[in-house]
Amino acid sequence: MTAAQSVATAPNVEVATDHRGSWFPTPAMIGTRLMELRKRRGIMITILVVVVGLPAVFLGIRLILHATDPKSYGPAGGADIFTNLVAGPMNVFGFIVAALLGCTAGSSDLSDGMFRHLVVTGRSRVALYFARIPAGLTIIVSAVAAGFAIICLVCSFAAPTTVNYDGVNIPHGLSLSGFETWAGEHPVDVLCSFNTNGPPPVNVNCGGPGQGFKGGPSGPTGQPPTAAQLKAAAINVAAHFNNYEEYSVLFLAPSLTLMVGSGLWLELVAIVGFIVGLGLSSLLGQRTVSVIILIVLEIVLTPILATARIPYMTNVQRAIVGIATDHLEPNGLARVFGSGNGPNARSNLLPEQTFVAVIVVVAWLVGWTAIGAWRMSKRDA
Amino acid sequence: MSATAVTDRPGRSEHTGEWAVETHGLVKRFGQNVAVDGVELLVPRGCAFGYLGPNGAGKTTLIRVLLGLTHADAGTMSLLGHPVPRARATALARVGAIVDEPRFHGHLTGRQNLKILAAAREPAAMGRIDPSLERVGMLQRADDKVSKYSMGMRQRLGVAACLLGDPQLLILDEPMNGLDPAGMQGMRAMILSLVEEGRTVVLSSHLLDEVERTCDAVAIVDRGHIIRQGPIAELLQGASLALEVDCSDPDRARAVLASSPLSPTIEMRPQGISLTLPAGTSRDVIAEVNRLLVESGILVYRLQEIQASLESWFLSVTSRLGESE
Repeated sequence: MTAAQSVATAPNVEVATDHRGSWFPTPAMIGTRLMELRKRRGIMITILVVVVGLPAVFLGIRLILHATDPKSYGPAGGADIFTNLVAGPMNVFGFIVAALLGCTAGSSDLSDGMFRHLVVTGRSRVALYFARIPAGLTIIVSAVAAGFAIICLVCSFAAPTTVNYDGVNIPHGLSLSGFETWAGEHPVDVLCSFNTNGPPPVNVNCGGPGQGFKGGPSGPTGQPPTAAQLKAAAINVAAHFNNYEEYSVLFLAPSLTLMVGSGLWLELVAIVGFIVGLGLSSLLGQRTVSVIILIVLEIVLTPILATARIPYMTNVQRAIVGIATDHLEPNGLARVFGSGNGPNARSNLLPEQTFVAVIVVVAWLVGWTAIGAWRMSKRDA
Repeated sequence: MSATAVTDRPGRSEHTGEWAVETHGLVKRFGQNVAVDGVELLVPRGCAFGYLGPNGAGKTTLIRVLLGLTHADAGTMSLLGHPVPRARATALARVGAIVDEPRFHGHLTGRQNLKILAAAREPAAMGRIDPSLERVGMLQRADDKVSKYSMGMRQRLGVAACLLGDPQLLILDEPMNGLDPAGMQGMRAMILSLVEEGRTVVLSSHLLDEVERTCDAVAIVDRGHIIRQGPIAELLQGASLALEVDCSDPDRARAVLASSPLSPTIEMRPQGISLTLPAGTSRDVIAEVNRLLVESGILVYRLQEIQASLESWFLSVTSRLGESE
């Protein structure tokens, strides 16, 4: 008997001990599934371009511009850039590419004709499904982590030296009295730019010399306010209308707490995207329709339903996973479809208690995993 | 060939049950269409078993049901003595199968595809990848992407995938599809060598000649029913007896034989006549035909029994079915 012919002559003792009917995948199954996904060049390039390449190019350009012309171009990093990058592109595109990967993982065996080969091995179909989860998450979690690490590095080490509040550069870390003192020294900036809940309390020339006055009513004499009046008005504005509260939560660079929280939140969003994509494509048996459905959910339905007040549909809106993950967004991040950062950032978001948001996210993860595994176990191969 | 004879082959002490495949009253419906209708199939161990039927007869559906690719609506079945689907994992652990056209991940190499399949089997399966590839003649192309493979190469890769599990039972659905004559010869030789090693090979094919040359026993399926099954030699014994006669006066020979008690079906040929006698007719009739012609003064130049082939038998069986409907 040749070496080739010796195939299939091993004793049949291993079969009884390899737990082939178990729902738990073996490390080898996970490893080969990871290889199968990793070798999909198009998807890997898409993931890397979107999750790593976009923030890297964006921040790289800002770094170069600031290095070549620092007076015209501000620092590349900082807390503002961080929050907008994380809550914006990383959040939305992270979900979409994770969903794309999940949809691919859930449908590739069927579309490539490998599913029946795998079923014929006698391995539990549920184990075949579960093997895709750690394999896919390894890829998407790593990619998101890499992109996020670039953002953290640039935003921390290339942060500005002053915070920008309502378009005005202010020294960071002022106390309330320090903030008022600074406001008294920059009355025009404060009165023209800060929130005053209406027109400025006094006439102030915001347009520069010769451009007239702007803001509130003229004094009884119609004369411009004195410097002392401007200073007093500026101090008053700085101390009220939530200006100090909003200023005080601004940072030059993202804090470690914010970075850790944001990283975990981004990974959660990506995990949700992958799991939902995996389950949906396993249910439907095809990738394209699943991807389209999830893109529409993420960039059309979720933003609309996150802020809309639809009578009798509020609880249905709260059950949408994108709204739930929005509620789990770390404090200090800008809302991508909301009204910017700061204490009022969530004012437009449909109210939802945190524990309800957690339950919604867990339900989506568990529910879609169960649906996908069930469909996998019942599907004709 | 009897079932007892094949189970006496060496190397099967670990087997349980007499049959490699056993089904009773198996039914599979697709809506109103009954694709598998009460199938009673017994495949003896250690033989090459042909599974024949016209297109749409339910061959592939039965294979899919056996392998758990789709569920049965009624009936019982077992593979290698293990009831399916109750002991499906144990049963399929030593089964290899190709169903329909073998397809793989095109962006991976042949070897990588086999790694995925081996990972779903026992750990030792990883060590069988190279020997399996070598056995099907694919070792040199194992690191090429499957998208570059021809149909025949994918067929061979499919067989290699079957061998990963140290199979006692191989179920091959149209394994000759896409193979050139040399490939078909190689596949035939490999099937025979697998059987020589004590494995059971179930071969679903429409290539009757290939089945006849490869298989020991067959089952004929039509419209979901198994209408005949057994060793080929025994089945062909039930075929009608055909004779070709070259003689000096075909017309008179026809008249002589038509008036004889043999009552054959007679067809005129350019050089003589063809006789078809009912199934079960003794071969002594050949001598009787010769005697009748010679005693009538007709010179007999050639008298030849035409061996019934599986193809002619298959066609006769299926045509009878068609007439009965």
